[in-house]
Amino acid sequence: MSTPVPLPTAPRPIPANAPRVKVEQASYAYAATDRSAPKFTLGPVSFEANPRELVAILGPNASGKSTLLRLLAGMEKPLSGRIEIDGNEISTLDLRTRAQRIALVQQESELLFPLRVWEYVLQGRYPHGRRLRFESDEDCLLAGNALAQVGADALRDRWMDRLSGGEKQRVILARALAQQPSLLLLDEPTQHLDIGGKVELLRRLRKLADGNRYTVLVVTHELDLAAEFADRVVLLQKGKCLRVGTAPEVYEPALLSEVFEAPIEVETRASGRPRVILRGNP
Amino acid sequence: MRPLTPGRVGAICLGLGLVLFAAVVVSLRMGAYPIAISDIVTSLVQGALGRWNNIPTESRLVIFGLRLPRIALGVLVGASLATSGAGFQALLRNPLADPYVLGVSSGAALGAIVSLIAAPHAPALIQVAAFAGALATIAVVYFLGRRGGQLDSATLLLAGIITASFLSAVIMFLMTTLSGRDLRGMAFWLMGDLQAPSTVSAKWLYIVMGIAVGSIYSTASDLNLILTGENEARHLGVNVERVKLVVYVGASLLTGLAVSVSGAIGYVGLLVPHLMRMLFGSDYRLLIPTSAISGAILIVVADTLARTVVAPTELPVGAMTALAGAPVFIYLMRRRVR
Amino acid sequence: MTARFFRGRLRPAVALTAMLVSFAAPRADASRFTASDGAQASGTNARVVVDDVGRRVVMPAQVNRIVTLAPNLTETVYALGLEDKLAGDTDVCDTPPAAKRKPHVGEPQNPSLEAIVALRPDLVLATTSINVESTADALARLGIAVYTTAGDTQTVVQMLDSIARMADLMGAGPQGTELVARLRARLDSLHARLADRPMAHVLFVVWEDPLITIGQNTFIADALRWGGAESIVLSSQNWPHLSLEEVVRLQPDYIIFAGGHDESAESELAELRAKPIWRDLDAVEAGHVVNLSEESIRPAPGLVDAIEQLAHDVHPDAFADKAEMLNTKFEMRPAPAIRGDGGSECDSCGR
Repeated sequence: MSTPVPLPTAPRPIPANAPRVKVEQASYAYAATDRSAPKFTLGPVSFEANPRELVAILGPNASGKSTLLRLLAGMEKPLSGRIEIDGNEISTLDLRTRAQRIALVQQESELLFPLRVWEYVLQGRYPHGRRLRFESDEDCLLAGNALAQVGADALRDRWMDRLSGGEKQRVILARALAQQPSLLLLDEPTQHLDIGGKVELLRRLRKLADGNRYTVLVVTHELDLAAEFADRVVLLQKGKCLRVGTAPEVYEPALLSEVFEAPIEVETRASGRPRVILRGNP
Repeated sequence: MRPLTPGRVGAICLGLGLVLFAAVVVSLRMGAYPIAISDIVTSLVQGALGRWNNIPTESRLVIFGLRLPRIALGVLVGASLATSGAGFQALLRNPLADPYVLGVSSGAALGAIVSLIAAPHAPALIQVAAFAGALATIAVVYFLGRRGGQLDSATLLLAGIITASFLSAVIMFLMTTLSGRDLRGMAFWLMGDLQAPSTVSAKWLYIVMGIAVGSIYSTASDLNLILTGENEARHLGVNVERVKLVVYVGASLLTGLAVSVSGAIGYVGLLVPHLMRMLFGSDYRLLIPTSAISGAILIVVADTLARTVVAPTELPVGAMTALAGAPVFIYLMRRRVR
Repeated sequence: MTARFFRGRLRPAVALTAMLVSFAAPRADASRFTASDGAQASGTNARVVVDDVGRRVVMPAQVNRIVTLAPNLTETVYALGLEDKLAGDTDVCDTPPAAKRKPHVGEPQNPSLEAIVALRPDLVLATTSINVESTADALARLGIAVYTTAGDTQTVVQMLDSIARMADLMGAGPQGTELVARLRARLDSLHARLADRPMAHVLFVVWEDPLITIGQNTFIADALRWGGAESIVLSSQNWPHLSLEEVVRLQPDYIIFAGGHDESAESELAELRAKPIWRDLDAVEAGHVVNLSEESIRPAPGLVDAIEQLAHDVHPDAFADKAEMLNTKFEMRPAPAIRGDGGSECDSCGR
């Protein structure tokens, strides 16, 4: 159970465009205090993501997925290695530039004072202007588009605290889209959704990736969703990057069973995508 | 979708400004000494032209020596307290925050008492000492309110409350050592009083206020974002730490300014921002200027009531702000349709 | 259209407004105003005096309109026969009763500056015992002559001097001298009577709960001494707090209250007899409770009446030769009215 499975070395087809996101041997560690031994280490991790791709960062709990996401969002600087977006190292970008390229879609939004949906989404335009700014017509147009892209146009004039969970999540996504990012980051976005909601969200993300040349990175532990929607999967366990590749490449039953500590079987469907089966009885 | 435009901000502020102007004119008219409106206007005009000799002595004394300075101070204090309250409500992420929650007023009161004890025959020093006390408290609470080197809302609130309690205890102790006369003076100072003229020229006070309000206003867009969550704001490109520092210093300075001039007048900093939110929404680009102007209106109205309702007895301004502001607040709260 | 006009101009507009306001503000600065006509009218006759707190006061040539800011000052003005010059006093000035009908300027602690100015006073009288400094400061800055007397920390003799000085200020020098001489004579005669007697030890109760008494340096303490009594507490604080335990330990001979109109020594005694600890005090058991009226315990001419009353209550045997005096300790003694010449109308109080 402790010997890691070797990384695949088979060459991958080089994409026509340069990769949007490039993670090169990035690693990170944090400790309880400055002087004690590191409590948790991540890495080294390497992978690439292109425009129009939906990448799933997959792994069980405490595998380092969220830490990797924070590195990708620029919230932490990797201890070694590089993380680049469009050729620039993320941690060197200033806050505004980073916000213009990368949008992190939050889980929840705790609002202190009442706010309308369109006001909330309009805030996503902040990185694209001066600090004290009044929104232009163009901003309004883009915010409207963002709402349309998530199918929340009808929610425009509603109050944020009166929305249902699913509606709120769409609006939060719309605000991220209003940032006009190249990279969309989502951390376990399906956590509180039912199956219908999960599928709807992933379908929407898929459409966004395809239609708008976004690169979407989704942190998840949902094997079936990742299998169905991801172009690329990064498999993590206990801070180690075990495998990077397409879903069929990564979804090996023995590997998955070991990583997720559960008896897992894999079937390949007609589409070529794997399907995951859990066995109740061994 | 109708986003906020500078035009809308300007129009609303102009409207409120007119209300303030009306309040000032009415306030100039009212008082123990009867002066007709026409005389007020002529005196104001003559004064603006610099022809002081053309104004009858009593009019000159009452209008320019008593009423106008008092109104000017009232406007300053009202605008400062309301803006400070709005700022703290955002900084501390707490709708119940008011300008005094971080202990600045206690620090100013301590400065005033120490000045009374150490230099009892230099009352002019009280105002300066109070401001110095406020500044010291700002620094202390800042250092106590940090967590991991940055201002943290919850830690700041706690630090402020503890500091305020501690300083209040010290003040109570010191008050037992004061003689009767100083004790009385101190009690009135604590209650809030606009009648005593400022020893520092009003011009400097207004300049400091302008700078502080301006600095806070420059973070208005940032505050809107921060109020949806600090992390969210950071990911949208807001320099959250810097904004918090600017708002902390600006709002605390405004509180210190107001308290050193007129003692601790309550309710303005808490009520006015909420009133403005109910009327005009929570967007800080509009909330800050409207709070400032409305705070001024509230204080001018309250002070006018305080000095005319049971003339010649002077009622405490702080009681009047509550009486004037609370009914409006309750009315709006009940009328609110969402 | 307005939107487009303001766009980009908002910040400069705000700055411009701020500048305009800051330039307008100095117009409203009170310190621009120095002495008004009153004090400067006849420049050669204007004199400068120093009041009891060290403030230099520019006195007008003629003092025809006076405003008093404390009850004892009002009383003094009436005692000097200057009530016609009294333009206004405070809400609480009640001695003599005629003072209640004068125009009021508010309470002593926070009077309305405007009301004072409206009365066009030549001189405003204040005292440290009840007024605040900021009032005097504000009036001075408006160019109105304000004379502040020391209140709490005077001796009775200093108070008499103060009365004489005030009389002089207000142009009533001769009356002042005469009043002071008469009051002094009464005090001296009292002193002569009590010369051989030991001082009675008394507790002067300023406030019952918490128990507050007087310090050594107050004028009340000095007045007590003139009446042949010494406070059991020797404190340098003016209004020291005292614990009831201390009182039990020190066992005063007499307990003195300065109550309001509706309280008599009898009712005070009855109350004390109902209270634990108080009722076991020697003074209470013996019925040695004295009630001086609140109005008379002020640094004003009426104080001498109070001193005389006190002396009678505490040293009755010193006055035994005055057979016509009814002097039981339980009788309510109304505050004697003050006649214009400074004598009191209470015939039984001796000369």
